[in-house]
Amino acid sequence: MKSSVLAAVRTGMACCVVGLACVIGSGAAYGAAEPLRVALTGKYPPFSYYDAQAELAGFDVDVSREVARRLGRDLEIVATEWDGILAGLLAGKYDAIIGSMAVTPERTVKVNFSEPYYRSGAQLFIHRDNPHRIYDIDECRGRKVAAVLGETYQRYLEGNHPDIEVVTLKSSVEIFELLEDKRIAGFVSDRLVGSWQIKSAGRPFVPVGEMLYTEEMAIPVRKEDAELLDGINAALRDMRADGTMRTIHEKYFGLAGERTRQEAAMSGAVIAAKLARGFAVTLSIAAAALALGFLLAVPCGLILNKPHGRMALLYWPVRTIVDFLRGTPVLIQLLFAWMGLGLSPMVAAIGTLGVNSMAYMAEVVRAGLMSVDPGQVLAGRALALSRWQVFRHVIWPQAFRVAIPPLMNSVVALTKDTALVAVISVPEVIREAQAIISVTFEPSKYYFIAAVMFFIVTFPLMKLAGRLEARIRERGYAHD
Amino acid sequence: MIEVRDLTYRYTAGDNPALNGVSISFPAEHIVAVLGESGSGKTTLLKCIGRFLEPTSGRVMLDDVDVRDLPELEFRRRLGLVFQRLFLFPHMTVLENMTLAPVKALDKNRTEAEDAARAMLDRLGIGDLAERYPAQISGGQAQRAAIARGLMLQPEYMLLDEPTSALDAGTTDDFAKWLRELRADTHFIIVTHDILFAQAVATHGVLLVEGCVEARGSLDSIVETARNGA
Repeated sequence: MKSSVLAAVRTGMACCVVGLACVIGSGAAYGAAEPLRVALTGKYPPFSYYDAQAELAGFDVDVSREVARRLGRDLEIVATEWDGILAGLLAGKYDAIIGSMAVTPERTVKVNFSEPYYRSGAQLFIHRDNPHRIYDIDECRGRKVAAVLGETYQRYLEGNHPDIEVVTLKSSVEIFELLEDKRIAGFVSDRLVGSWQIKSAGRPFVPVGEMLYTEEMAIPVRKEDAELLDGINAALRDMRADGTMRTIHEKYFGLAGERTRQEAAMSGAVIAAKLARGFAVTLSIAAAALALGFLLAVPCGLILNKPHGRMALLYWPVRTIVDFLRGTPVLIQLLFAWMGLGLSPMVAAIGTLGVNSMAYMAEVVRAGLMSVDPGQVLAGRALALSRWQVFRHVIWPQAFRVAIPPLMNSVVALTKDTALVAVISVPEVIREAQAIISVTFEPSKYYFIAAVMFFIVTFPLMKLAGRLEARIRERGYAHD
Repeated sequence: MIEVRDLTYRYTAGDNPALNGVSISFPAEHIVAVLGESGSGKTTLLKCIGRFLEPTSGRVMLDDVDVRDLPELEFRRRLGLVFQRLFLFPHMTVLENMTLAPVKALDKNRTEAEDAARAMLDRLGIGDLAERYPAQISGGQAQRAAIARGLMLQPEYMLLDEPTSALDAGTTDDFAKWLRELRADTHFIIVTHDILFAQAVATHGVLLVEGCVEARGSLDSIVETARNGA
């Protein structure tokens, strides 16, 4: 009796041990297979930017590499927009942000921060000519001072200097243009970054006054990822202890600063390759979205054309969806698909633009079908053709010809709309241009080049639409 | 023979019927004209015979078989219908209009269908229209092209709705002669309000007044009744 109980206990323990081993084993395998996904903007030199080989580089990138290495995980860097970077973390788009994010009470409510990995501070920069004789932030009263949208400096200025008119812009590149023209009194930025950017861009700006406050930059992770946070903290401590952090710091802010600027400068070939690759992505998104949109638009247009009869049940749902898509900004639809539905950037881009263009093309298809005389169906049926044959050979060719010119306009609109997908971090031509501009500081040049690239594609399409319209009018398709 | 038995059709329940208990037989050996003022139910009758309207009551028989019991394809092959507004397919040439049904509905070889269509056009004296689009031909030519398109299925019967509406007087005479020449293979039932044309083409007639058969018989007697009635 006793021995059988013992045997049972022993068997149970053995099961537990085997089970535990399985859990540990699978856990380890899971960790090795999953890369560490780290977000940064890629537009914040020298912390993150694209180098001469069009590779991501910078202080934050080097820190990311070291952290991932010490965690024993591969590194996957996600370059994304600053103003949605925390939302992306919370939505599980990546595991951590190593993007020079300052620790603030508001942010601490949503995420857990690691120990700080560097310290910097807010600094006021002004034009060297100093037309307003400003030597301190308090002397900016009643004047315009710029900060990058979503950065902590904006909040700080609004909270502590209500007399200052705060101008927020998407990037420091745009701020530099304004200050160069003396349209603002100055700007507040990170002391390290600001100094580096001014030097790289060769701008006549200088820091004035004391630092407004100091900030601690740290790595946020989701609240529930406590284990990852511990790992990151251990890695950071390790990097400080063995001098790695100092080496990285010196690489970007030591005496070799001039050399770094040389490294950051992009060759013409790299810029061309980046723009070409970005535009290829733009065109692929447009083509895929167009195919999807058209395939959906034909049945939806058919349903919209038949509010009564056999397809009446489908009419109101389709009508509502089409109206909703046409009546809401495509930008919100994109953000919803990306963050709300949790789709990957590419899938969200193609899906949203496809479905959105479906809404417009469905109306075009419906108008095309409506333009066909209903008597054409009777004539087709009287000739012994089936319903499908009548649609395929009689109705559709006429409707489609009428629909071609407005469809072409939808194609043009869709191609232009692809520019919006830059905000959900798809590496298309606008995003590539922004990355180039963050290093070259030439926004007008590269935005113009990007615009011309779009025009080269859309112009022939617009011309073709005009020609087809004229030809259809000649043949006289519209009914008698 | 096409027979209409006690046919009634109402467009909306409770209204006066457009056709009220109409019984007519169309023997195969005659060209029959259905005469009547507009609103007398001519076109409704034609649509009921052509199965584009479901009769409220009554039956349409084709050689003693209820047309509702015939498979769609067989019925359409045996009974052609040319609408008043013709409905030629504007995106196709006359030749393509004619070959569409033989190739798609009857699975005929395209080359053979084209040869047959050209032969038909030549026989009808409009061979030069083959490559034209409907927008490029006259009303009379379009009328002939539409009938030629219907004849490609070699129907036993063909219903023509107001075939002279697009024609002027001189062309109407030519057209009547042209139709008489075709009657050997196909039996025409012609719906018209044009008494002169009916006299030129038909031997027998039916007079419809307000959805009822007012008179039937030889065309001369019908014309007589129609004139007296008016």
